[in-house]
Amino acid sequence: MRAPAHRQVDAVFDALADPTRRRVVETLARGGTVTASGLAAQLPITRQAVAKHLSALRGAELVSSSRIGRETHYKLRPQPLDEAAHWIQMVSAEWDDRLEALRRSLEKRRARSQ
Amino acid sequence: MQLRDEQTTERARDEKAPWVERETLVEATPEEVWEALTDEDRLEEWLAPEVEIDPTEGGEISVRDGDQERSGTVESVEEHERFAFTWSRPGEGESFVEFTIEGLPGGSRVTVVETPIGPTGMAAGGWGPRFAGLRRALRRVLVA
Repeated sequence: MRAPAHRQVDAVFDALADPTRRRVVETLARGGTVTASGLAAQLPITRQAVAKHLSALRGAELVSSSRIGRETHYKLRPQPLDEAAHWIQMVSAEWDDRLEALRRSLEKRRARSQ
Repeated sequence: MQLRDEQTTERARDEKAPWVERETLVEATPEEVWEALTDEDRLEEWLAPEVEIDPTEGGEISVRDGDQERSGTVESVEEHERFAFTWSRPGEGESFVEFTIEGLPGGSRVTVVETPIGPTGMAAGGWGPRFAGLRRALRRVLVA
């Protein structure tokens, strides 16, 4: 259960490490379903560059596509983002526990030496 | 818009925004905290039941807690102030973990950050700025 989630988180982090791809994701988050041409019109990059970024985002399962007539429509899939948010929550809780154990260990040692 | 992205990236380089950042206040000097963070036996009191570490830059770290195992490399050693390493479970992506110790009247503040660095993170020139922007983007998308 943990391993696949972590792999997906890695893929999401990798896909979103590119600032232009983050702009594509933000635009998709606002826009619902759009075409590559529609995205290119809202971003300072070519349609070809948009297509390349959409392909990378689809690889990370952040974007789904469907054909309507002659056009491909793209949509944001929020689930991998939820996985990344879950990773943050899980790792935060782990460190809270470990830091509490560190605090207890230090105070126990200090009490012994006094 | 590209320009704005670069400006925020520039700012983030100094902020060093991690994915996870937690802190605790302890009644111990930075020297005592340092020992607890870098000494094998002391680490086994709080981090995990089995810890092996060579606390020098490039040294290996291995942490085992039951069937959970992590291993990695010590990245940064600044005595009494900063200690950082990478670690990962077998077959999973690496994280960068960094402890910072700050002396306070009557104790210390211990801060830990953990940031996934992914397969291309370090090669692309550092995890800090990349992930600062990414985390902000993620937050915006999650609340959208």
